[in-house]
Amino acid sequence: MTDKNETVIALLGQPNSGKSTLFNALTGLRQHVGNWPGKTVEKKEGRFTHNGKEYLVADLPGTYSLSANSDEEMITRDYIASGKADVVCILADSSQLERSLYMLADYAGITVPCFLVLNMSDVAADQGKKVDASALEKKLGIPVVLLSAPNTKAYDGFYSALERAVKDKTSLNAEALEKRFEELDTYRNIKSMIPENVIPSYSATWLATKAVEKDAPVIAKIKAALPDGARSSFEAAVDAVDKGVVFTGERKFAWIDELLEGTVNTKKTKVSLGKFDRLITHHIWGKPVVVLTIVLGLIASFIPALPFMGIGQAIGKLPDPLNEALLNIGCPAFLAAIICDVILRCLSFIIQMLGFVFGVTLVFGLLEEIGVMARISYVFDNTMAKFGLQGKSVMPFLISFGCTMGGAAGTRVIDNWGQKVLTIALAWAVPCGAAWAVIPMLSTVFFGAWTPVIIVVILLVMILHMWLTAKVFGRSLVKVEDRQGMIMELPPYHKPKWGSLLRYVFGRTKDTFLRAMKVVVLVAFVFWLLSYTSTGTITDSILYKVGTFIEPVTKIFGLGWQTFMAFIASSLGKEGALGVLSTIFTGSGTISVGSMVSGTTAANINELLVANVSKPEALALIFAMTFNMPCIVALAATYQETHSVKWTARIALYYTGVALLLAGIAYYVGLLIW
Amino acid sequence: MKKLSELEKDAEGVIASVNGDARFISRITSIGLTPGCHVTVIKNEKNRPLLVYSRDTMIALNKAECAQIEVEGGKKA
Repeated sequence: MTDKNETVIALLGQPNSGKSTLFNALTGLRQHVGNWPGKTVEKKEGRFTHNGKEYLVADLPGTYSLSANSDEEMITRDYIASGKADVVCILADSSQLERSLYMLADYAGITVPCFLVLNMSDVAADQGKKVDASALEKKLGIPVVLLSAPNTKAYDGFYSALERAVKDKTSLNAEALEKRFEELDTYRNIKSMIPENVIPSYSATWLATKAVEKDAPVIAKIKAALPDGARSSFEAAVDAVDKGVVFTGERKFAWIDELLEGTVNTKKTKVSLGKFDRLITHHIWGKPVVVLTIVLGLIASFIPALPFMGIGQAIGKLPDPLNEALLNIGCPAFLAAIICDVILRCLSFIIQMLGFVFGVTLVFGLLEEIGVMARISYVFDNTMAKFGLQGKSVMPFLISFGCTMGGAAGTRVIDNWGQKVLTIALAWAVPCGAAWAVIPMLSTVFFGAWTPVIIVVILLVMILHMWLTAKVFGRSLVKVEDRQGMIMELPPYHKPKWGSLLRYVFGRTKDTFLRAMKVVVLVAFVFWLLSYTSTGTITDSILYKVGTFIEPVTKIFGLGWQTFMAFIASSLGKEGALGVLSTIFTGSGTISVGSMVSGTTAANINELLVANVSKPEALALIFAMTFNMPCIVALAATYQETHSVKWTARIALYYTGVALLLAGIAYYVGLLIW
Repeated sequence: MKKLSELEKDAEGVIASVNGDARFISRITSIGLTPGCHVTVIKNEKNRPLLVYSRDTMIALNKAECAQIEVEGGKKA
């Protein structure tokens, strides 16, 4: 119970048990996502009401067992031990009970009330498996319910199992499993030494099993609870065990087999890979098929994005006439400028980008639900492991060629927070669609036929940048001891359920919109203040004064104050850089957020650029812009996905620094050439 | 006795032993690969994880690590 009198349910299950689908179905939009205190692990909580009762759902991190090998597992264990949960909902995959009941077996001996959800009952039924939930219920002593989590219309069984577990405080009957453990002398020996109440709600059976498994935190707890004289004999008993995990693991699976005997009817079928699986896992065709799948997914993302883009563009047309109208009715110029130039233009920009986030979340959420993402992970595992990432990270990287914000949204399918943040950090180095629109054009103006060479160099620098960034941030985000080879199940393909998927996608899009709006308006407002002048000439703005004041420093990186302004503008939006240069060189109008994101340029911009910027300076600007922070919306999306101000700021500062550094290198190389 | 990583496509066998550090053993146990467990190799190709089928589940395994799993049998079915 919380102090608000909510019943607390903790969801416990292995990855791919459909835990997040159940969590989303239960809590809908009433979710809060954050991090576990001091840990790089995502914490999800949500609320729902049923039969007039309030429930708080804690989505525990997806882990394979309750051992102590990772932060995720420790958090899960500590949460259950904390007594915060009134009931633990354990999930298993009905189509793979032989394996997925392991979590239940690992839970045996914990006295916190629980019930068992056999998820993906539809997949099991399709495979011709019949599961007798009531027979299992008798054997286990806890409510057992078959469920297809995406089918939110059929949740009655789930709710009644939940209510029974809460009312009767049902705890798992683990006697049969205990008997199997008793076969081992060392287990009996260790168990006899364990004192009362080492960890509340964790029984001597559970503690002894973990001690046999050489679980360091449990052993330490037991030792601390033992009287001085008993410690050494306990240590000796633990030391005498060899490969305890294998021993208890065998017993747990034997217990599962015994449970399933007579409760599950399976038609034994010979396994083979389906047509698509044979293609996607092919040693030559696999990678091209994955890249093609992602590119097609990217194109498909544009279809749901189009309405958003239309709305965004329509809003983008409002500021000019509205500004005029406001001035006509006597509204102060600065107020009109804030409304039109800051708020409306930001809104237009964000809504257009948001369409892309919506599309990417929908299409790649769909691929995840169907089971395609797991295959992508398999195909790119070897390549991405070099960066400390999982194979799925290839998808956000490819999406980032289109839009970094979309790439950041795409990292949702990565279940490890550290790897997710690292993927976003690396994806920033991938030049986005806006950069590809600006850079080749800029490069052609200055370097003509050499443009392809510059593009190749940019791509090479990108790879080097990603490699370096993985080195810089990798160690703290993905600990070396957490980097292990792939051990992952490839789930069977699932039919998507559109209702729950769409609800989830709309929820995430709304969250992204609110958060992006806050960040973007704030940054745009600050920038607007800095560039605002009452006279209309840029030389009166704070930005100009600061720019010219620090010019001696920016010159080191090959950027004069004008190109430095363009560089700053490119961190808000790449298209804006040209607009800014245009404004400065024509000496007309002010730099505004409007010119920043819409990128309006003078007709003779090419001649102006060549006349005002030398070739080495141009090269410096090209690299500074390409590898700068992608845009403010990408910054906001990064914050939204990582929910860490610290990491978002760290990545942004790092990119600004590296972009200047690259500009400097490009400048001096340019000086040598020309 | 053969290493799991050496088994060819379509080979079947029974796991005889699992070796390696505690973390690996714990992880491999939790996904269901324990001694006595029946495995079928679905795919074994260069520079890709091994694909095996066991306990009703298709599992992708890093090659270096499944050299630590020993299998009895291992003949093509």
